[in-house]
Amino acid sequence: MNGAVRSLTAVIVAAGVLYAMQRSTPLYSDITSPVPVAGRQGERVDTSAFAIGIAKVYLARSITFPSLSRTQHYATSGVWVVVESAVEAKNESLGLTSAEWLGPDGLRYRYSQRLTNVPGMPGNEQFEPGIPRPMLMIFEVPESQIAGARLLVARSPYAPLAEEAWIDMAALSTDDIHPSITLSRGGQQMPWILKVE
Amino acid sequence: MDVSANPHPRKSYWLSLAALAVVLPVAIVVHSQGELIQWLRAAFRSPTTVEKGASQSYAGADWRLTGLARLPGALPGTTVVLAEYEAAVEDEARLRDSFPCKLALVDDRGRRWKGTFMVDPVVRKMRPDAAQKPHCGTAEASRKGDTIRMAESFVIPQDADGLMLSLALYGGMPDSLLLK
Repeated sequence: MNGAVRSLTAVIVAAGVLYAMQRSTPLYSDITSPVPVAGRQGERVDTSAFAIGIAKVYLARSITFPSLSRTQHYATSGVWVVVESAVEAKNESLGLTSAEWLGPDGLRYRYSQRLTNVPGMPGNEQFEPGIPRPMLMIFEVPESQIAGARLLVARSPYAPLAEEAWIDMAALSTDDIHPSITLSRGGQQMPWILKVE
Repeated sequence: MDVSANPHPRKSYWLSLAALAVVLPVAIVVHSQGELIQWLRAAFRSPTTVEKGASQSYAGADWRLTGLARLPGALPGTTVVLAEYEAAVEDEARLRDSFPCKLALVDDRGRRWKGTFMVDPVVRKMRPDAAQKPHCGTAEASRKGDTIRMAESFVIPQDADGLMLSLALYGGMPDSLLLK
């Protein structure tokens, strides 16, 4: 009788372990996801391919950007997050094409595709080893995803096991939201000019 | 009594384990159908270094670096490097099939810079003759005996030293040249 109880217990434990393993098996996308390199706003964050530092972050209800023919106004039901940063390639020339705003609820927002024509946005600039250059990132997020967010920057969204900078952003609140930000084309040294209104 | 029982189970166990260490890598190599060996060969192949002023036959042409000039950069702390090089065509068909090029400027610390997408404005101003030359990617293969003269500009930091031009043609890979 004692032996039967032991066998039954062993089977139940084994089934429990197998169930737990089945439920916790990571997806292929998790296994090959980028390797995070942690950092904070205001510090230099070094990945193996590039270094990045976040200088300033602005929040606004609307963005104005003059295109070739007319001035465009970009409104949102959420908030525009405008991030000014500096990037330096480490070993070889590269472009950065992946920037995501990771909200406190785990929601990810890719950099806005509505403003890709603004100079300095990801993909518009080639970064060179030894030459730090400014990079602009603009996100459109709900108000609830501003405070306690992280910024994720990588060379490409499709680079398995490459390093990705995970930058803890300084505390932001809805009091910091400006009515409007105007962006215009800058020069060679600073590709854009930002004016808060 | 079981006559098939192994009289030396411990010895067989260790022998099997040792055999696994040999058989497993062999199985992987065989299963890759030569691709693994090719990849290892390419990964460990170093580029052919070409001394200053010398030329080297590669992918259907004889390649030579004719100039590596430093010009003032527009950004603080930077220099524009104008690399001029030429290819004397030896095998027209092979060269045509080998394009396009993969070009980079390499320094003594192993840092690699890609060429600028457009010709740098300082090159247009100070070396208009070089600005007219085609890039390696836009050059067209000529007839045997012709020489194609090309130029590329790079933006690098002023402290970069020991510069060399790394040149690879897709048709000539995994071989490549490092022109001093």
